[in-house]
Amino acid sequence: MNKPLSSNTGYINWRKKLILILIIGSLTTLGVGIICLNFGVVSINPKDIISLLLNGTQDKTKSLIIWQLRAPRIVLGALTGAALSTVGGAFQGILRNPLADPYILGVSAGAALGACIGIALQYVTGYMLASYLPVFAFIGAMLSLYLVYKSSKISYSANSTGLLLAGVAITFLFSALITVLLALSRRELHSMVFWLMGDLSTANWKKISIITLPVIIGSSMLFFSSLDLNALSLGEEEALHLGINTSKLRIRIFIIGSIVIATVVSFTGLIGFVGLIIPHIARLLVGPDHRIMIPIAAFLGGIFLILCDVLARILIAPTEIPIGAITAIVGAPLFIYLLRRKNK
Amino acid sequence: MNIFKKSNLIFISIFIILSLFLLKNIYEKKESMLQIQKQVDKHQVGTSNTTEYPLTVIDETGTAVTVSKEPQRLISTAPSNTEILFALGLGEKVVGITNYCNFPEESKNIEKIGEISPLNYEKIISLNPDLVLAYGGFQLKDIPRLRELGITAIVLEPLNLKDTFKSIKMIATACGIPDKGSLLVNNLTKKVDKIKSKVSSIPISSQPKIFIGGTSETIYTPGAGTLFNELISMAGGQNIAAGLSFWKKINPEFVAKAEPDIIIIPIGVMNQEEESKIKEIISKRAGWSNIPAIKNHKIFIVNEDLFYRAVPRLVDGLELLYKIFHE
Amino acid sequence: MANHPHFLSLKGVCFSYAGDREILSDINFSLPKAELLGIIGPNGSGKTTLLNVISGILKPNKGEVFLENQNLNHLSIEKIAKLISVVPQNTWVTFNFKAKEVVFMGRMPYISRIKGESLKDYEISREAMIKTHSLSLSENNIQEISGGERQRVFLAKALAQSPQLLLLDEFTSHLDLNYKYEMLNLLKNTLKKENLTIISTFHDLNLASIASDCLLLLNNGKIEKMGTPKEVLNEENLLKTYKAKPILINHPRFNVPQVIM
Repeated sequence: MNKPLSSNTGYINWRKKLILILIIGSLTTLGVGIICLNFGVVSINPKDIISLLLNGTQDKTKSLIIWQLRAPRIVLGALTGAALSTVGGAFQGILRNPLADPYILGVSAGAALGACIGIALQYVTGYMLASYLPVFAFIGAMLSLYLVYKSSKISYSANSTGLLLAGVAITFLFSALITVLLALSRRELHSMVFWLMGDLSTANWKKISIITLPVIIGSSMLFFSSLDLNALSLGEEEALHLGINTSKLRIRIFIIGSIVIATVVSFTGLIGFVGLIIPHIARLLVGPDHRIMIPIAAFLGGIFLILCDVLARILIAPTEIPIGAITAIVGAPLFIYLLRRKNK
Repeated sequence: MNIFKKSNLIFISIFIILSLFLLKNIYEKKESMLQIQKQVDKHQVGTSNTTEYPLTVIDETGTAVTVSKEPQRLISTAPSNTEILFALGLGEKVVGITNYCNFPEESKNIEKIGEISPLNYEKIISLNPDLVLAYGGFQLKDIPRLRELGITAIVLEPLNLKDTFKSIKMIATACGIPDKGSLLVNNLTKKVDKIKSKVSSIPISSQPKIFIGGTSETIYTPGAGTLFNELISMAGGQNIAAGLSFWKKINPEFVAKAEPDIIIIPIGVMNQEEESKIKEIISKRAGWSNIPAIKNHKIFIVNEDLFYRAVPRLVDGLELLYKIFHE
Repeated sequence: MANHPHFLSLKGVCFSYAGDREILSDINFSLPKAELLGIIGPNGSGKTTLLNVISGILKPNKGEVFLENQNLNHLSIEKIAKLISVVPQNTWVTFNFKAKEVVFMGRMPYISRIKGESLKDYEISREAMIKTHSLSLSENNIQEISGGERQRVFLAKALAQSPQLLLLDEFTSHLDLNYKYEMLNLLKNTLKKENLTIISTFHDLNLASIASDCLLLLNNGKIEKMGTPKEVLNEENLLKTYKAKPILINHPRFNVPQVIM
């Protein structure tokens, strides 16, 4: 066996591959982000951006728009897209279900209920609660995390189905409560619906400073479970035979993923489709090995959301299209196209 | 469920910590608000005839807003504020309005800033406003961000006629023309008082029962606390929904039982044909054939903008209602 | 080659799912090292359940399982995974991995999640694929190969796990005729040289008879008979267990009983 192994076993140093992905992914995301700084209601061209970087604040208005409005939006888009895709991929892994998305285990419904209650209370307690909406959403998310965790333990079979059913049940319960709240609140209806549709336009640097660390740490922890997720896709018993504590793995991924999602969703609302489809696109491009798929999905998700956000804010300016609509309208055809190319 | 199990304790303590954090911040903010209120009350805003800048007003959100100099570039983020600005003769200074600002006609060509909520901050900033006249309601959550970006914004959300007049005065003061504001309010008050005195001579038994409905089958009607309800009682009518608070979805049976004498349908600008079609549809609604308003063909279609917006035209709406009720 | 007479021992093992009827009752047996044990019995007799108890993923309600004098109950599943590997009956994979990636997963118990794998892990995986004649399937997607090909890949994975005890659940059911014998040959001869102990459940009595050093006949969760194929496959036992009266003949080459209808 003098022939080098790489030709038949595909031996590639995974750490080198990972570093390569991280570098290329970060540079690409950065590049896309800088290009997207040019797009918006107000026309700003690359010359302005470069002169701004070099000479400092020439035009106060343009500087304000770029640094306080567009840049935070782009960064938030990158972080949100990465978080949604990573958690979506991880949840698809632990539930062994390609239709899973980051919202399926209930945390998003909790955040939504918390936010709607916060919005409803705004009118009772006045203006000052407006900035604390993310806290309400996060509390709601933690409540549903707790309920799903407890409910999943009631199920007899300690496998994915118990967790999935608990998540779906709690989601339905909370969605019903939200519907009642919507029906009773004609004044606040508009705000609630808009929150539910997802929105990156409220991004600022303070919010980003809160989100960044949990998202990066959480996503990394999910990434380190990649090998276990690979084995889990062989089946529950198979993974046990390989020495993997499947119930601990499931709960670990569920809790870490839910906290990451709760953090992000509390600030951005419910942006759909990204967490479902980006992991699949990543698999189509690089295969199902979670060690490669998850980092790729993270960068793809970030870039995808940045681009969707640009479309959301320029298509019918100055009105903004809800970003959840753009992600679906753009993402679905893209996915179908990739599927067809793969099957040829 | 063993409450002392480790996982339960962790969750419960996170919940309690977050709630305490929230309550503490609410309490602190309320305290600081009261402090500012006390300070600004001393300045007696709105009663002087000359304007000295910088001046401070306390707006609907309880925030002390400082206008540093006489504003030359104004943006309105609500149709009501646009109308008020033009009524005060400040139309020339308005550089941005929403997609929904449709009155007066002269405002048509002003640059649009987009939706009422979510606000397009980029567009607003690019227009370089000195002052933004904003709205509470569902725009409230967008205001903190606007202020973070350095924009001076006064938030108004008048819910009755008196507060509407106060808003007019506040806008006039902030823009350096307090006397014009007082003048406008005085004129409007005179008209209102005229109606009030006419109505005071009408006994309650002669005051017709009024129902406000829309064209859709799902009925939302204004109750206590809405501008519309206030105008109805001022104009000498009895709103059958006066017992409900704010806007409520109601059961058509409720209307049938209440037997209103007059039905008012507020909509956007319509033409004659569509008006008669709408009247026909309303008349044919199930279970309503015995309602006096329908039997006597007392269905009136009005321009909703006169009744939904906290603007000077409310007084026109009031006069219209009086005519409908008693003439 | 030290012949450990009690490499695997089951003592008084009973198993039932919560509130259900008892699936295994009072199972007692020992297996020496480097033997191939065939478990046979009608459907519902508890073959797969017994395999799952031996592999450690099901804990018996009563009794114990000992592997080299270690009580499986006291071992973590990570430790068990380094001793025992399993080839399942159902080989469906949720995501479309390549065959070589599936085989590589057999090295999981030995790979640190943080440090990752070494060249040795790839070498072992490759050898396992060569032994099971599945190297040509390396680059194929696991969802797109036939059932029999998948079973060979999963056997490679189980071998890559470097087990001391290999468990197979109805392994030959999807294999073509040539592969049936080739795999059994592989199991019996090549691997016995490496001191591997093998337990397989069989649906096909004849195959079991040829392949196994020792047979265990299960009837309704109890051991009907355990011993050499000649001892187990006789008319009396078959009538009691299968309620059938087939004809028994002697295999001309292997000198073991064969069942003919």
